[in-house]
Amino acid sequence: MKILHLYSDIMNLYGDYGNITAIMKLCGLIGEEYTVDRRSIGDAVKLSDYDFIYVGSGTERNMKVALGDLRRLKDELCAYVDSGRAALFTGNAFEMLGKSITDADGTVYEGLGLFDFTVTEQKKTRLVGDVIYDAPFLDSPLVGFINKCSEIRGIGDPLFTVRMGLGNAEGESGEGVRRNNLFCTHLTGPVLVKNPHMLGYIISLILGQPVDTAVLTYEHRGYAVTLRELRKRLDG
Amino acid sequence: MKVFITILICKLLRFVGGLIGKGSSKPGQIALKLCPDILSRVKLPERIIAVTGSNGKTSTVEMIAHILTRGGLTVAYNREGSNQIEGVTTLVLGASTLTGKVRSDVLLIESDERFARYTFRYIKPTHYVITNLYRDQLTRNGHPEWVYDAIADSVYPDTTLILNADDPLVSRFGADRENVIRFGADRLSTDTDANTSVYDDGAYCPVCKHPMTYSTRHYNHIGHYACAHCGYRRRDTAYAVTAVDMDKGELTIDGRYTIRLALKSLYNCYNILAAYTVGCLMGIAPEQIAADMSDYVLKNGRVITFMKGARRGTLLAAKHENSVAYDLCLRVAREYRDGCDLMIIVDNVSRKYFTGDVSWLWDIDFESLNEGHADRIILAGKYVNDLAVRFEAAGIDPGRISLYEDIHEAVESLDNGREEYVYVLTCFSDKAKFLNEITITSEV
Repeated sequence: MKILHLYSDIMNLYGDYGNITAIMKLCGLIGEEYTVDRRSIGDAVKLSDYDFIYVGSGTERNMKVALGDLRRLKDELCAYVDSGRAALFTGNAFEMLGKSITDADGTVYEGLGLFDFTVTEQKKTRLVGDVIYDAPFLDSPLVGFINKCSEIRGIGDPLFTVRMGLGNAEGESGEGVRRNNLFCTHLTGPVLVKNPHMLGYIISLILGQPVDTAVLTYEHRGYAVTLRELRKRLDG
Repeated sequence: MKVFITILICKLLRFVGGLIGKGSSKPGQIALKLCPDILSRVKLPERIIAVTGSNGKTSTVEMIAHILTRGGLTVAYNREGSNQIEGVTTLVLGASTLTGKVRSDVLLIESDERFARYTFRYIKPTHYVITNLYRDQLTRNGHPEWVYDAIADSVYPDTTLILNADDPLVSRFGADRENVIRFGADRLSTDTDANTSVYDDGAYCPVCKHPMTYSTRHYNHIGHYACAHCGYRRRDTAYAVTAVDMDKGELTIDGRYTIRLALKSLYNCYNILAAYTVGCLMGIAPEQIAADMSDYVLKNGRVITFMKGARRGTLLAAKHENSVAYDLCLRVAREYRDGCDLMIIVDNVSRKYFTGDVSWLWDIDFESLNEGHADRIILAGKYVNDLAVRFEAAGIDPGRISLYEDIHEAVESLDNGREEYVYVLTCFSDKAKFLNEITITSEV
């Protein structure tokens, strides 16, 4: 399995690199060989060489820098996604793939256009909170944390259903978006560590066969504790 | 009349609150309801010193108050836990006469970094210390650049900024202005050439976002940086730590003044330097400041030594969700030459709000425990599984680690015949759960 961690130095705000650690660990446990390449601004890279691409979250300014660089890879990324290979964009990395981003000062940045959504940032209120989401392709919900200052409009078919916490925009019951095996969510940090079942799902897509994540003992226990604690909040 | 009544009520509430041990933000909150612009109707002293930043605010403020008081000035200042506008209002009205005049020579304000723009809307600091901007409590603070923007709204053209030159983001507040005093550390014996932490917030220039290089690093992104693209660089300092000797516990400022450290950390050195800088600017003689700061101990319950059965140890209270603070505490354990055991407790992430987010564990350099003098590691608390995953990723030998979800059981396990000293690392949110189980021998 060839893994690409793109913008690993500039889009790594909430321990997002832990997602790569999680994949490496599971691959190691199930005997799957892997390589990890880390590439950033201006580095030579050929996306079609990879089986999985990951981009994590950054500050609003850093994300614009990454976006400026990612434009050169637009056609390659479209072809990659259309080929059905897997990728994960978390936090505000997800925002780069829509039609446009309007920042808090009104400047408009053109997105990569893989999706039709638009992003509007503001600088008054940080939108933060723990969340529980349901996914149609998973047996149990996802847990995580949202940390953003934007809203995303124009997603008709979201990735997750919000059970607790913030969605794509205020009042929306959906979060994230998916195209083929490209998964986009505003969840921050090591999402695949916190949700071993989601990790298992993505790895099984890449390998084309079921993967048992029961070996991830502490991850599953940690997930259960977090879900229990969040449910306590949800149930009041 | 309205001013008189508001101040009177605030003072009465503060007095009653003091009697029943209530916090100091409520009286100010009520005063602001009665008279929203009360802070602009009070006559303030000529010298108003503000302190903000991610870490070291409370310590720096306490040190400044100590130095100025010893120097013969009267100082009104707020204490921990009341650093938003309500607490500051309580402070100002409490220090003021009923006719609305603050009596002290100096008003000294610790301000929460995110809310500084509200606090300093009416109170314009004459001197404004900004200590550092780290990844700190990101689940409510967003990120350091978000906090930078929040602080920027509270910076006025005629305020003298007192900035940590070694923090590239903080130093940026001083770009394009004359009235800036910078403090920082020269190249130190404890420095490294490369970044040693898990992430690098100094990788890119905060101004132009091109790659930045460091000629020396004190820790994390704190050091001597330069951007080849736009020319942004670490500027020369007016006041500097010129040497540290952690073995002897000594700090030298400006090559002349030696201060003995009660708390041997670089952190403490920066806090002392910031306070020293303010003291000098307020006209206190440097040799007197050095004498006042030597062996200075701030009693704020952050370092507590204890006994558990035959075991002796020290609890270091660092904020969860603050990897820089954790990294420095881990360093203390690693450098304990006789060898020690280390306990880390994560039970409640914050004492002020709820979150189940443990992403911050991935920003802490637990990898560093593969070296140094810490041997056995005890992980404890509700989030022990997340700690276990993180320690496995850090490559720590599982034979060194024991896990306890229950803090009581974890503490009991200390009294197991081992004689190594114990360092306990946890947050204010979880400190009491540990202290209930042991005997405190001293507390600072």
